[in-house]
Amino acid sequence: MREYAFFLGCIAPNRYPGCESAAIRTSRKLGIELLPLEGASCCPAPGAFGSIDLKIWYAMAARNLVLAEKMKKDIALLCNGCYKSIWDVNHKLKHNDELRDGVNEVLKEIDMEFKGTIDVWHLIELYYDPKIVGVDKVRDSVVHPLTRTRIGVHYGCHLVKPKKEHHFGDSENPMWIEELVGALGAEPIQYRKKMQCCGAGGGVRGYDIAHSLDITNEKMINLHEAKADAVTEVCPFCQLQFDRGQIEIKEKFGKYWGLPVLHYSELLGLAQGMSPAELGLDLHAVDCTPFLKKIL
Amino acid sequence: MAKAKGYSDPKMEEKLRDRYYYRTDSNPEFSKRIRDISQTVSHMCYQCGTCTGSCPSAPRSSYRIRLFMRRNVMGLEDEALTDPDLWLCTTCYSCTDRCPRDIAPTDVIMAMRNLAAERDIIPVNFLKTVQAIYTTGHGVPNNDVNRAARQRLGLEREPPTVHKYKQYLPGIQKILDHYGLKARADKIVAEAEKHA
Repeated sequence: MREYAFFLGCIAPNRYPGCESAAIRTSRKLGIELLPLEGASCCPAPGAFGSIDLKIWYAMAARNLVLAEKMKKDIALLCNGCYKSIWDVNHKLKHNDELRDGVNEVLKEIDMEFKGTIDVWHLIELYYDPKIVGVDKVRDSVVHPLTRTRIGVHYGCHLVKPKKEHHFGDSENPMWIEELVGALGAEPIQYRKKMQCCGAGGGVRGYDIAHSLDITNEKMINLHEAKADAVTEVCPFCQLQFDRGQIEIKEKFGKYWGLPVLHYSELLGLAQGMSPAELGLDLHAVDCTPFLKKIL
Repeated sequence: MAKAKGYSDPKMEEKLRDRYYYRTDSNPEFSKRIRDISQTVSHMCYQCGTCTGSCPSAPRSSYRIRLFMRRNVMGLEDEALTDPDLWLCTTCYSCTDRCPRDIAPTDVIMAMRNLAAERDIIPVNFLKTVQAIYTTGHGVPNNDVNRAARQRLGLEREPPTVHKYKQYLPGIQKILDHYGLKARADKIVAEAEKHA
């Protein structure tokens, strides 16, 4: 068993708790034990905090990193927004002495010091990495293949972009999460503008909801055109935007898409034999039943 | 001094004697600060427009990232910082990945937002996130419906974050207070609600 400090963020534990329990239980079957990171806060939201003052964003994210440093464990997380904050700040503070000294001066007030002793990983990259889990091991863990389902993958922005700072290679048409979806027995489909943003980031969801939903609506049009049965993502904030956003799109634009939205952890949970109730799929705003009927 | 062109209007003469044509509202310090905060070679922009072409916000609004890049090079501080379109960037980094000059326009926008925030120009929804984090430690806090759902899923009613371990909250508040952010947020939000 490899042990990681599990950084939860906000939306997974407080809006889609099924993602949290699915991540813990499915990862255990793949040899990853996710330990609670006691006292962690919001990452903090890169759009909201970074826009106001990057220095405060660094300091707040560094506090979360120090908690994991004290546990002597690498951080694993399941949200692209958290990845942006926690991974980026860890990377920047490790490589910029001036920045680190500034942050540590603030952290001294609460008896903390950033040392730069741990690394940060998104769960999805741990699943893909053959040295940790790998696609084959994910495939071997499947007891209930999701055959006959067409699934569109939404990578989200802050995992693969900006590509020169991150380490995932191509950001125009990556295919590695499709491999992981294929390993569950589903058919990963291609659709127009796959890499387009969900529309929620950068504080835009709160600033101009109609604008933000219009971006989401374009994704829905393109997924619908490709005859997707569901869309999967690796970011609870994208999930919130797609899932609750479809209800808001119906209210604002009068069109209801009814496309089920599932976090990869939830898909993996279904494929490993967890029941929809155990995954809390009834908490989703868009009814997942049409998708579940295809696989059950 | 010899006349540059021989215009009779002395103001026109003055402008042409200058090797460069300056707009009077241009502030070169602005461009320097943007470069320092964004840590990107923002002055290298040659206005090709790949950024606007890649932008998910451009087709549905008047937000043009290329215009902001030009304002940066030209030092048009007031024009950039008071434009409401500044807050329509979703920070998706598509422009950054495609920029042929290897600039990160997204980080230029973030730097501009930081400078706007110095003038207390911050949309209220950003500040409400700050207030939520100050009081609960989370930008999107737990609620009763979710507590019941967590229990049903076999999770603890409060996640093992600062929600459960409340002794960590004062540390978070101390960091925000160090920068005086909560007080500023309260002030700006109260002001905005007065006008609403």
